[in-house]
Amino acid sequence: MPRYVMVIDVERCIGCMACIVACKKENNVADGYFRTRVVEEVRGEFPYLRMELRSELCNHCENAPCIDACPTGASHRAKNGTVQIDKQKCIGCKACILACPYDARYSTPEGVADKCTFCEHRLKEGKKPACVETCLGKSRIFGDLDDPNSEVSQLLKKYDASVRLEFAGTSPRVFYINKKFAGGSL
Amino acid sequence: MIELSITGTNAITFPHLEVWDWRIVIYLFLGGLSAGIMVMYSIANLHIPKQPVEEIAPCIRAPFISFIILAVGAQFIIFDLGSPFHLYWGYLTFNPLSLMSWGTWGVPAVLLANGLYILAVIPKEQRYRLKFPFLIKISEKLTLNMRPITKLNFALGIFLGIYTGVLLSSFSAIPLWNNATLPILFLVSALSSGAAMIVIIAKKAEIKFLFTKIDIWLIVAELVVIALFFYGLYSSPAPYKKAIAPFFSLTSEHFIFTIALIAIFLLLPLALRIKLGELKEFKDGFHGEFTKAQILRMNIAAILVLAGTLILRAAIVYAGQLTKLS
Repeated sequence: MPRYVMVIDVERCIGCMACIVACKKENNVADGYFRTRVVEEVRGEFPYLRMELRSELCNHCENAPCIDACPTGASHRAKNGTVQIDKQKCIGCKACILACPYDARYSTPEGVADKCTFCEHRLKEGKKPACVETCLGKSRIFGDLDDPNSEVSQLLKKYDASVRLEFAGTSPRVFYINKKFAGGSL
Repeated sequence: MIELSITGTNAITFPHLEVWDWRIVIYLFLGGLSAGIMVMYSIANLHIPKQPVEEIAPCIRAPFISFIILAVGAQFIIFDLGSPFHLYWGYLTFNPLSLMSWGTWGVPAVLLANGLYILAVIPKEQRYRLKFPFLIKISEKLTLNMRPITKLNFALGIFLGIYTGVLLSSFSAIPLWNNATLPILFLVSALSSGAAMIVIIAKKAEIKFLFTKIDIWLIVAELVVIALFFYGLYSSPAPYKKAIAPFFSLTSEHFIFTIALIAIFLLLPLALRIKLGELKEFKDGFHGEFTKAQILRMNIAAILVLAGTLILRAAIVYAGQLTKLS
């Protein structure tokens, strides 16, 4: 089975927010709710400022605390390794929302938990997630980490990647690279 | 300086978590209270060896009340569910790593044990009230196993008391909750509130006096564990240290938590002072009945303990959701 990961090239993000729009349209995300977001972080004192645009979404963690917290098995790991929610099984206890250190989940107006699925329905058709497909600056790159020739494997081999809240021990599958600055401020 | 502007935030998670509200506070309070009463009535019956059932009978009110409190408390978490009609899935699966799953199975198990105790403790002359002949038969059989059932109630009371704290402490993403002291704190405060409730509902003066003495130790333990809880977080890495800041803040946003902490450290010691006064009054041993004024004073002290327990749970549930791991 593939090991899907997303690499986010922070330097290439132009802040157009097309990823957010594409995600909402593709997944019929309700008004006022979002599965992905873009953080605009400005650091320093004028005139020595540095701005970073960072896309954030579910990290599809290898050690997912949301799966551990779920009492019914609604939050589960799919065969392709991604973390998914079976909405028929979700009782809306919100334990997974509390358990996620990345604030990636929310409760839908119907009362069940929701989050990024890496566009699982598109993956089944051999397509890439909607946000990746629509990304103008090619900041979001998606692929199989087990395939050494995939773009994500090549990028992670070439650049020093970081993950959000590494100390939380969740082993995220969303990696951030910044070709200008080594490391980063995640 | 860092300036953040975020496009695409969800109101439930930003600027801080707004996930669990007063319904969970009431659930944790009533769950803890019920657990405390279970432990206390078990102690009341176990501390006198091989008590005949007729003498145990006056204790039937405590298990009955704990049953109702837990049954009502469980309704509050169901009210909080976004999709309660899917709840049956909780009983088709068991996830040992999910504390919610432990609660889904654990609360009915505790109610069952509590129910068995109620049936076992009903005195012979009152059994006709059970209406159904099969219940009367079960009651007769259970009476013979009074002590094992009492021990089971004691164990499940402890389980429920700890559970209310472990449920919160299992969330590693929430620094204020994610520590091992919290389950101990919730257990001690649950036991203390249980003893206070028994003081209020007990008819026998000896029982009131016994639980007043027990509660003194529990209040002292609770105050010590609260101090250790805050010190433990204060001496931890930055996100954990930051998590206790709302309790020591004078800003309008956080002042309510400072007031809560002050209230806890006023109410509990005040209850302790009243209880110690009672103890001093009867230092030569307790004989006979209490006067109305003495009973009123005992009940006031017990209500202070219950108020302190509720404020503690509310403050921890709400303040926990203000700070994140990042």
